[in-house]
Amino acid sequence: MNKALLTYLIWPVVKFLIAFVIVQVIVILMTWIERRLLGFFQARLGPNRVGPWGLLQGIADPVKLLLKEDILPSSAEKIAYFLGPMLPLVPAFIVFTLIPYGPPPEFTIARVNVGLLLILAITSTAVYGIILGGWASNNKYSLMGGLRSAAQMVSYEVPFGLSIVGVLMICGSMDLVTIVRYQELNAWNFLPQLVACFIFFVSMNAENNRTPFDLPEAESELVAGFHTEYSGMKFAFFMLAEYSMMIVNSCLIVTLFFGGWTLAMFDLGLTTNVLKGMGLFGGILGATIFLTKVMVFMLVYVWFRATFPRFRFDQLMDLGWKWLIPLALVNIVVTGLFILAGQERLMYWIGLGLIALTAFYLFKPRRAPEPAAPQKVVHAS
Amino acid sequence: MQVSHPRNSWSEKFLLLDLLEGLKTTFRELFRPKVTVRYPEERMEPADRYRGMFKFSYDRCIACKLCAVACPIDIIYIDVHDEMIEEGGKKKKVKVLDRYDIDVKRCMFCALCEEACPTKPKSIWLTTKTYELASYDRNDLYFNMQELEYWDDKPEYTGLPADDDGKSLPAERKQIPGGTE
Repeated sequence: MNKALLTYLIWPVVKFLIAFVIVQVIVILMTWIERRLLGFFQARLGPNRVGPWGLLQGIADPVKLLLKEDILPSSAEKIAYFLGPMLPLVPAFIVFTLIPYGPPPEFTIARVNVGLLLILAITSTAVYGIILGGWASNNKYSLMGGLRSAAQMVSYEVPFGLSIVGVLMICGSMDLVTIVRYQELNAWNFLPQLVACFIFFVSMNAENNRTPFDLPEAESELVAGFHTEYSGMKFAFFMLAEYSMMIVNSCLIVTLFFGGWTLAMFDLGLTTNVLKGMGLFGGILGATIFLTKVMVFMLVYVWFRATFPRFRFDQLMDLGWKWLIPLALVNIVVTGLFILAGQERLMYWIGLGLIALTAFYLFKPRRAPEPAAPQKVVHAS
Repeated sequence: MQVSHPRNSWSEKFLLLDLLEGLKTTFRELFRPKVTVRYPEERMEPADRYRGMFKFSYDRCIACKLCAVACPIDIIYIDVHDEMIEEGGKKKKVKVLDRYDIDVKRCMFCALCEEACPTKPKSIWLTTKTYELASYDRNDLYFNMQELEYWDDKPEYTGLPADDDGKSLPAERKQIPGGTE
């Protein structure tokens, strides 16, 4: 067989299929994990009837949705209505080809030297499906949800992109593999880029319409937002797209800020050398480390959902435009100054100091607040 | 009234301590014991004065009909006839219960009948620890004297019956004297 065909067509397709299956399994597991964990956070048990500990819930749900009636609203825009749930899936699956799951070249499907730019360009198209679906349903609430989603995406795409710039400046490359290698030889990027990491995490929550920012599907205001009119498998596709994008963004934050497949923070390239020495098994081990980190971030998503109430729309815009974007710009300038001064190591210590300070204040035993002096009642006269 | 809000210090604002405090709280909640009771497998024991199913004692009842009078929705049906019995050479008139029915499906479990009962101990009482009264046929909830006294041997609820399209339901309906339907 032609060697070029093997390298450039067959192997990538096989790798993509493997990654695809793994991601689908994670999605199926996540539907169960999310509901179970939310239950645990809320002092109840969550779904535990289907299979052992309710593990098969993720299979029972799609089966139920498959058997449900597929409703088409009579005044819906048919083509757009069908396209709506499918469009957000495409960018998610494209991005899965660009992420380095383990040491190259075996565990990267496509190594692109402008990988990060490509990922940013692709992920931002995911909102089209939501807008299209919301508009095509011909329903006020759906349209409101779709438009909110558009506004939110536009607002948070900016800090999302700007927060990555700091990482690019430190690593000097847009290639994800190079970024991981840099982190392995120095330190995981969340230390020098702590602020950027925070901004990235907040805006990735907002881009996925996850709970503190789930205005497009705010149940208390918009019935179900953009997917009000969707039922059956189309609804399932929306959910699949949402969870796939969650996994994509978790993969991104792990790759950019938490060292990809590397195990320790200051291991000076040890992990990759050991993993490469073990051959294919080492690669699988690296991918396992990577997926474990991704799962941790998926759980953090659920944790956030259980903790924070939904923003009002003006608060959302306020946070995005007045806080995150200026913060990201300041972060770029400060990072640039540090690089200019040749003091990149200093940034690690500042990040470490910030984490230590936060932990100190967070776990510091608090004094009980002093009972307030009885206030004099002032009557309006 | 003036309310003073505690002012955040710069550290709390800058380090997002409020948000982290919230995360800490929910994280602690994750490991607390859960309150859910998995009902058919686990059961809660009701309190001692829980008003469960009726229990009736034929031996104690003196057929005075006070419970039927006390009942706010008149769902206790009592029929009585007099009998003369010999006791110590004297003839004595005794009331004998013919019918003591309670239409439990309409009952609101107020326990006024229990309060009205003059016998000691009570001959009609509600403080049994039974709450599994659901039925597939509303007529099953019409209890006559024997059923009120001897429902204990009814099996405990163990979960939904096998999915057999209602074949497990009793074929013929229970006949209600007087026909309250």
